[in-house]
This record gives sequence, C-alpha cells and structure tokens, in this order.
Amino acid sequence: MPWFLRKLSHGGLLILGVTFISFSLMVWFGPDQTYTLIGKNATTEQIAEVREQLGYNQSFVVRYGHYLADLFTFNLGASNSSGESVNRILQKTIPVTLALMLPGFILGNLLGIALALLATGKKDQWTDRLITGFSVTGMSISFLVVIIFLQVLLCTPYGLNLFPVRGWQVSGLASYLYYVTVPTLSLIFITVGYNTRFFRAVFVEEAGKDHIRTARAYGASTMTILWRHVLKNSLVPIITRFMYTIPLVVISGSLLIESYFGIPGIGKATFDAVTSGDQPVLKAVVGLTAVAFIVIQLFTDFIYKLVDPRIA
Amino acid sequence: MATEILARRKMRISRSGLTGLVIVIFFFLLAVAVWAGWAGQNWSAADGERWASPGSTWWFGTNQLGQDIFERAVYSVRTAFEIGIVVSLLSTALGAALGAVAGWRSNTLADGTVLWLAGVLDSIPFYLFVAAVAFALQGLPWAMHVAMIATFWTATARLARAEVMKIKSREFVLSARAIGLPSWLILMRHVLPNTLHILLIQASISFVAAIKTEVILSFLGLGVQDGVSWGLMLAESTQEVLAGHFNNFLAASIMLFLLLLGFNLLSDALQDSFDPKQAAL
Amino acid sequence: MTCWGKLNPVIPFTAKLLTLCLAAIALLAVTACDDRSSAEPGADHSYRIYRHAMDGAPSSLDPAQASNIYANFLAVNLYDTLYRYKYLARPYQVEPNLADGLPQVSSDGLIYTIGIKPGVHFIDDDAFPNGQGRALRAEDFVYSIKRQFDPKTRAQGTWLWQGRIVGLDEWKENGSDYQQDIPGLKALDDRTLQIQLVAPFPQLVHTLAQGYSAIVPREAVEHYGQEFAIHPVGSGPFKLQRFNSAGAVLLRNPGFRQEPFSLEAEGFDPALHGSYGLDALEGLAPPFTDRIELEFIAEDASRWNAFLAGELDFVKVPVSQFDQVLQRRDPPTLEATLAEKYHLLANLESGFVHTDFNMSDSKIGEHPDPLQNVRNRALRCAIIKAFDWPKRNEVFYYNIGQVFPGIIPPAAPEFDPQQDQSSVKRDLDGARALLAEHGWNPANLPVLEYGFPSSVTERQMFEQFRSFLGDIGYPPEKIRPLTFATYGDYAKAYLNREVMLVTTGWTMDYPDAENTMQLFYGPNASPGSNSANYQNDEFDRLYQSSSSMQSSPLRTTMYRNMNRIVIDDCATISGVSRKLILLWSRNFRMLPDRSFVGGFFFRFVHTGSPGATTVEQVP
Repeated sequence: MPWFLRKLSHGGLLILGVTFISFSLMVWFGPDQTYTLIGKNATTEQIAEVREQLGYNQSFVVRYGHYLADLFTFNLGASNSSGESVNRILQKTIPVTLALMLPGFILGNLLGIALALLATGKKDQWTDRLITGFSVTGMSISFLVVIIFLQVLLCTPYGLNLFPVRGWQVSGLASYLYYVTVPTLSLIFITVGYNTRFFRAVFVEEAGKDHIRTARAYGASTMTILWRHVLKNSLVPIITRFMYTIPLVVISGSLLIESYFGIPGIGKATFDAVTSGDQPVLKAVVGLTAVAFIVIQLFTDFIYKLVDPRIA
Repeated sequence: MATEILARRKMRISRSGLTGLVIVIFFFLLAVAVWAGWAGQNWSAADGERWASPGSTWWFGTNQLGQDIFERAVYSVRTAFEIGIVVSLLSTALGAALGAVAGWRSNTLADGTVLWLAGVLDSIPFYLFVAAVAFALQGLPWAMHVAMIATFWTATARLARAEVMKIKSREFVLSARAIGLPSWLILMRHVLPNTLHILLIQASISFVAAIKTEVILSFLGLGVQDGVSWGLMLAESTQEVLAGHFNNFLAASIMLFLLLLGFNLLSDALQDSFDPKQAAL
Repeated sequence: MTCWGKLNPVIPFTAKLLTLCLAAIALLAVTACDDRSSAEPGADHSYRIYRHAMDGAPSSLDPAQASNIYANFLAVNLYDTLYRYKYLARPYQVEPNLADGLPQVSSDGLIYTIGIKPGVHFIDDDAFPNGQGRALRAEDFVYSIKRQFDPKTRAQGTWLWQGRIVGLDEWKENGSDYQQDIPGLKALDDRTLQIQLVAPFPQLVHTLAQGYSAIVPREAVEHYGQEFAIHPVGSGPFKLQRFNSAGAVLLRNPGFRQEPFSLEAEGFDPALHGSYGLDALEGLAPPFTDRIELEFIAEDASRWNAFLAGELDFVKVPVSQFDQVLQRRDPPTLEATLAEKYHLLANLESGFVHTDFNMSDSKIGEHPDPLQNVRNRALRCAIIKAFDWPKRNEVFYYNIGQVFPGIIPPAAPEFDPQQDQSSVKRDLDGARALLAEHGWNPANLPVLEYGFPSSVTERQMFEQFRSFLGDIGYPPEKIRPLTFATYGDYAKAYLNREVMLVTTGWTMDYPDAENTMQLFYGPNASPGSNSANYQNDEFDRLYQSSSSMQSSPLRTTMYRNMNRIVIDDCATISGVSRKLILLWSRNFRMLPDRSFVGGFFFRFVHTGSPGATTVEQVP
C-alpha cells in the first residue's frame, strides 16, 4: 500500500475508535437530559415523549450510525437546551476560545523555549539549576491553585484589584487586554514549567551531538551555537509539540479557564453540555476534536515525510 | 543477566532528589498515621464556629461549616495517597503489560491493536475523557480511578514497547529463545525486569498526575464523593477566598504543592540517575 | 464573527487556519464579541441604560421552556402575557396586561371570557411578510397554548393546563393538528378569547401571568424552527439584541403600547415605597429604559465584585457578603457607606427548601407491617427533631432566611404566623427518647442515603446534616452521600424513587398555597412533583375539595389542616424560605422583585437623578 493510503486508513481507524469510545461514554452512558427538559408534574407518558424526541429510545447501533453520518456530513443538529444550531454555537464560541487561549499558549511556549535555551547555554551552572528548579516548582502547582491565586491577587480588593473577576465583554483592544490578561497569565504559569523542561531536554540532547561539539571546537560563541545549530535542529520536535498540544490545550485548558472565568467559549459550551447532558453539542465537540487531532497527526507525518523520506 | 544490567545503573541520588524523598516519606508517614487512626479522624465534625482564625484550638482555622481545616488537610493526605497509589500502580502495570506484548510481538495484529487503542485514547481531550468516564460510572466510588487508569497507561505502554523491542534483540534474550523457553517466561524473567527503571519513573509521574487530576475532578464535582480531599477543599475555597477567607485555600494548596514537589524532585532524580542524557522526557 | 462566518467549523483546527488566526488575533478580539458600539446611539444623554445581574442563565428564550426564574424573566419582557402582577401591591395581585380587563367568569366558574387590547403588534421581524410585525390576535393565544401541547415543542408548562381545558388533551392525543379546533379554547373574534374549563380552576388567571402563557406568532415559530428559542419575536416591552450564555441585551420595543403609569393602580403606598422616588413616574408610559444589559453571573463573588466595581446597577447580594453589607439583620439595614449609594430590599423568596423522606422506601417511609410503620415514623420524627434549623439558617443563610413549620411558606397568603413551631425546634432529648422507645439503636438504624447534585454547597449541607444526626448517636458511616454529577441525573433518580432523602427547592408559580399543597398530593407522586411520594387519604380528600374553591377563610383553614397532617406524619424536614438582599443604585427609580412580579418590573425601571439620598426604612 502506498505510504499515504496507509496513513489515511490508519487515521480512519483512529477516528472510528475515538468516535466509538466517546459515543459510548458520553452519549450511551452519559447524562440523561430527559429530566431537565420535562416540566413539573410530568406524567410517565410525557417522559416517554421527551425520550423519543431526544432519540433515547433508539438502539445503540442506530444512534451510533446516525452520529457517524451526521459527523461526516457536518449535520451537527441543534442544542437540546437552547435549540441553537451546533454549527452556530461553534462559530460563536471557537473565535472566543482562540482569542482567549492563543496568547497564553504562544507566550508559554516562547518563554519555555527562551528559558530552556538559557539553561542549555549555562548547563550545570547556577542559572541552569535555577531554571530547572523553577520549572519543577511550576509543575508542582495545581492549575486550580494558580487560577484561584491569580484571581485573588489581581482581581479582588484583597490584592491589586486591577482586572475583572470574570466575564468577557470585549469590544476593542483595550477591553480585550482587560479581560484576557488574567487567563493568559494563568495559562503561562501552568504551561511554562512543563515547556521549559521539555525543551531543555531537547536542547541538551541536541547540544551533545557531534556536529555541535565540532562547531564549539572551532570556537563558535555559545549564542551562535544555540541559535544557529541547537534551535534550528530542534525545530522538528518543537513544531510537533506545538501541533499536538494545540487541540488538547484549547479544549482541556479552556474547559477549566472558561468555566472558572465565565467566558463564553468552546470550553464553557462543552462544560455546560457535559453538566446538562446536551448531547448534540458534546458529540460535535468530541467528534470534531478527534478529527482535528488526527488530521494534525497526518499532516505532521506528511511534513516529516517531505523532510525525511526515510520515515514511514 | 537482568540484574547485571540493573547493576550497571548505579543509583546516584542528587541532593534535590534526597529532599524529594524526605518529603514523600514524611507525607507517607502522615498517610499511615491517618490509616492507623492516629490523625485526621475528626475531619467531618462540624462543631466549630464559622471561619475561626488559626489558633491553639484550630491550628489552621475552620471553614464555613465550622470544620477543622487542619484535620481535613491531614485526612486528605490519605486520600491523595490512596488515589496516587492505586492509579499509578494499576496504570503502570497495565501499560507495562500491554506495552510488553506489543513490543514483543511488534508489527503484528496485537501490536497494532495496542497502538491503535493508545492512539484513540490520546486523541480524546483529557479532561473531557476523564469527566466522561467518571460520568458513565457514576455512583461507583472508583469511577475517578478507572478514568485516570484508562488514560495514564498509554504513555507507559509506548515507552515499554520501545524498550522491549530494544531488549528482545539482545544476546541474553536471543539465547533464552534458542534454548526454547516459552515467550511469557522470557518476558517475565528477562525482559520486563530490564524495563523496571522506566516503570518506576512512569509510576512516579502517574502519581503526580493522579493527584493533580483529582483536584480538577473534585472541583468539577466528579472526584471524591464521600470523604475529603485537597481538591474538595480547594473547591470550597473558591467560594471563600473572594469573601476574604483564605485558610482552606492556603492549607490545601500548600500541602498539595509540597507533596507534588517532593514527587517531582524524586522522579527527576530517578530519571537523571538512570539516564542523564535522556533526562526530562 | 465575520472572519469565521463562511468557514466550516472544523477547519479552525487545521494548521493553515491556525496561521491565519495567529495573524488575525487582534481582529479576533474584536469579532469575538458583541459590537456594542454600533448599536449605541453615541452621545445621546437621554438614552437610558440599566445593567442587571442574574445569578443564572436561561438556556432558551422560548416561552414554552420558561421553566426557571431566569427564562421567565426574559419571556415576560420579550413577549406579552394576558395578565401580570401589580408592580407594588403586596400581597401580590393580578393585573391585566395584554387583556383589557379581568376575565368575565360564568356563574359556574367554568367559562372565562377575556378581551384583548386593541392595536398590539408583534415586533418587526423577517419571519413576517415584508418584515413588518403584524397585529396580535386572539387566535395567537390559542396557537400559543396549543403549541405547548404539541410534543415537538418539548414544552415544560403543560402541567398548568393539563386536564383543565375542554378538548385540549384530546387535541394532543389526536396528533396535535393545528387545523383542529379545541372546544374549550376559542377565539370568538380577533380580540375576544373564550376558555372553557373541565372543572372550576380558580388559579387559571394566575397561569395566564406565567411566562409559559406568553403569546408567540406562528410565523416566527415556523420560520425559525428550533432556533426560535434564540430568536424571540414577541410584543413585549423589549426586544432582544444579543443573547448568549454570559448575558443578554434587551432594547426598548418602540412599538410597545403607550399606557400611562398609575401609582394607585400599581398599589403604591407612600409609607412603604415613598423613598424610592417612584412618584415621579406618574403618568409616564413604560418601558422607561432604552436598553437593559443582563449579565448572567452564577458565581456569587464575581457578581458582587462586578457590582462594587460599578459594572452593574442591580445585584442580589451573595450570602457570604451579608456580614460586610448589613449593619443590622432585623430588619436588614445597609452599612452607612453603602446606604449612601444604594437602595436595599429584603425580598422573601416565593418558595422554600425542604428535605423529603422517600415515603415509598420501606426502610424509612411507609411499611406494610403496621408495627414497623410506627417505628419508621418515629425514626423520621427523631431525625426531624435532630435537625438544627437555627444552625442551618446561620451557616447557609446568615440568619436571614425564615424558618417555618410545614409546607405553607411565608410568601403564601395562607401562611399562619401563629402556628405551632415545635416541628422546627431542635429537641435532642426528645429525639433520643423517641429512638429508644421504638427500639432503634446504632446497630439497627438503617443506612440513610442522602442525595444531592455534586456542588460545594450541597455537599456542605449534607455534611452538616450528618453532623446533626451525629448528635443523636446516628453513626456517621450510616449516613451516605448519593451524589449526582448533574441536576438532571439527580432528578432522574428521585423521580424514579431511588433516593431516600431528597432535598429540593420549590418556587411557587402563583401566590396560592394550592401550589405547595400539590407537592404532597398522592396522585402527584413521582414522577410528579410529590417527590416524597407521600400518600395520606385525609390529605388527598382535603386537597380535592379545596382545589376548586375560590380563596376564602374556609379554604385557608383546610390548607392549614393539610399542613398539620404532613407535619404529624413527619414526611419532610421543612423548611426555610430564603430572604434575598437586593441592592440597586440610587440613580434608579425602581423596586425590584424576584417573586411573582419578577421580570414584569423591568418595564418600570427608570433612570432618575442621583439626588435622593435619604436612608429608607425597609418594609
């Protein structure tokens, strides 16, 4: 089988698996919305009516089949709670999430790379130890603790009281900065420890390779070596990490940040869907994330293939 | 043979690793004290005044219900260790087993299936998956543990698989095969023991991840159901800090931080001593 | 939204688009929000804005789904109901809204004839031909009620009219065909409605003041399909500009009927309302506000901080702030510095919180064996005696809540302030004696399963309950939490009778204790709203005979007897009515309400001058 077809069928199998598992968990065994949609003093018949409306009375196979068909035709249906079409919910929420998460994501990675370079340049000196210690400390703090701490510190009268406690009333650059700062700082705080550690490991390994030693032997300055050789040669793992963490950071990270800060992005929409059992929204988010993740994997593999044809 | 390879990896524990070990042992002793009933037993009684300040009666103060925050924070050490031990042991064991099978039979259907399953699980956003499992198994006290084990094993399996593939072409394995030992015996006696260092590191990483995940899940209402944990205390504190009551938050977050720091330092040191070049991957 | 509108929602994840997004991030920041600037008429100082915080969000704006207070608030502003409640009169009184007067009722109490005000139009909307809102007709009301009984609507308010209106239930059984007429629900002409009841239903006029009964145009329902829920097209005082899970913006409906505000008709009492500056409104035509900005902020502290920061004009003060905000609790009085800026109202909720025993569970409720039945009752009574209401009130309601015995809450007109308080008095000795007398001891006490949806407060209430029972020697390990990740799953469990102790809150739909009596009426057992699954023949008999009676001293006595029966059977640990502390800026002439007036007060909110600084006495 040609390489690309093999990869594609591999991706197809993964999508099947992901949709199957997430459908079983979130839809079949997931929360039942019937009882939030019925009125007071509902009769057994009314409950049956609502279940029928929601499609709960159909068999697993039928429902899973519908799900796959809907997913591939992008016919995502409408939210059971509000009646709003899932497409519109995604259109409304995804830009908010990207605007919310990207600055922190990018800064967290850049800061991680910068610190890691610094540490690699001063390997085993006190700068390196300080940075390593700092990253271990960062890794030992819970996401929740960071959010609570920064909120108290920056958003309440007990601290500096500079930023809003929550919300997202963005209408221009100034208000954007006003609302995005604290979530961004939280995200940087959370990710920079892990990023620094990861990139330092990559750089240290790269710096130990023969051609770098050679360059060093010829008297190239540390800065030149770090920039020209180490960073450049580490681009592949850096980009891979970028690509792989985007969907996870965007969905998992925003789930917590958005529900805590009350920001109407995809994470909050997903969280609300989880807690209310709004299955059309859940199905769409899980399905699309999986597809996106797998598309990114294929894409990354494809790039590698272009760069280095030996990789299969 | 196996022992010989292990012996070559001389344990050189750094000073920070030692600090980590001391912290972990300290918390473990605390957990034992709670298990034995010597400490933290009064975590549930709501008999104090509301939001009392720290003092000689209430060392860390009280929460909104008038419960003793010190008792709750100490009892939570036990909760953390229960979750950490169960999740890290089982997820590492599962990962080792599946990874070993996949590596031993690389490029077969079994290998493909394990890789596929790991790929599938890694493609679902983590919190969403864990929340979904916790939902699906609602009412079971182990729902949270199952959710974490189901996701944490994949990393271990990938590493174990790679290591087994390396080891199986080694001389001592080849000779064991040549004399006709059954595969399972070779795997158990010669191959797996040589992946122990990876498993040990993975177990310590899973321990940290389990405790951190518990905090998030408890905050979302999907974690600890009966009992108390740092996650539940932090969830309580989200309501209190904005009204100016910080004791719950401080107690839970500081203890949580110390334990995680201890484990992170320890696992760093383990990684360094086993393979200085591959540190921190 | 423009930069995403034409793109498929999947694509944003791909790398190509990622690059695009990185480049467009500043643009995103602007498009990701409402473009408020374009809607605001700039520097016009007469433009009046009111910013209101709600502690929860409606998920749907369809009146058929106005099942919670938040959805109801919006429904009655975006749509018209036939009746509403008088703005200021207490106890609450019904007032014609879209109707041109109170209904004419036949002498047998079965036929209601209601006239509709002339010249009322729906707002302009694409759903109508030429986009012009057409005149509202009596037929629209008929359609709106029919629609509730069409299963496709998934309406939540049908219980209000189910089995009450001649032919309505049959209409549904026959397949909800809108061509078919309903004998008991007719438009006699464009402006006259006639409703024929199966049996007298004195609460009917109250049901016509609910968001559920709001009048929707068929064109819009059909035009928008499922998305009608977020595209309201009504004839209410406001129309929708923006709506999402974080907030909503309402704009004044310029076509709303001009009716001069009358202090007298609304029940103005200078002694009670004199300090709010309302007298300046006499003769003006509501709505007085051009724009209402609603923020849905569930987190107490966030809402409060936003209010203190001046981002809101109105707030429900979080319980945790009562210590800081109130100078005195009884009557609630503001701290001096706050009193300079804000008005305060202590608003008693029109409902109550109670914990029911599942009477269909033989471990704690009814038991076929008479002897065991008596023992179970003793156990329930002992648990009630062990419950420490003052402590519950102190910890969770800062002693502002009103604890009362039984199931007639203080907001109901039939409430009896003189009644016997012993069922809400803690009596540990009595509880222990009762247990001992009926042979209960730590070894044979049953395991109690206390259900709650997983949240911090619910969990703390459970832990407090466990601690209360610990005081009568109930072993803590025998009191177990039964947690549910969502309220829906909790409701599913208790409606299927799987929960032993069910804690719920009930918000009254109308000011008549019939609405809480039905919570313990046998035929309403789960999945109906009798979640205690309580069965008592005497109670049911009284309920049946009182339910068709108009309000009268006799009916009040019957209600109070029913209350007594429930208390004597120890069927529920009840209850407490929360008191809400509402604050609003002194710049506004208004009197907010969270009970029956609810959303109807928005139209009367007026941005006055910041002059009034007298400290008012709280009613």
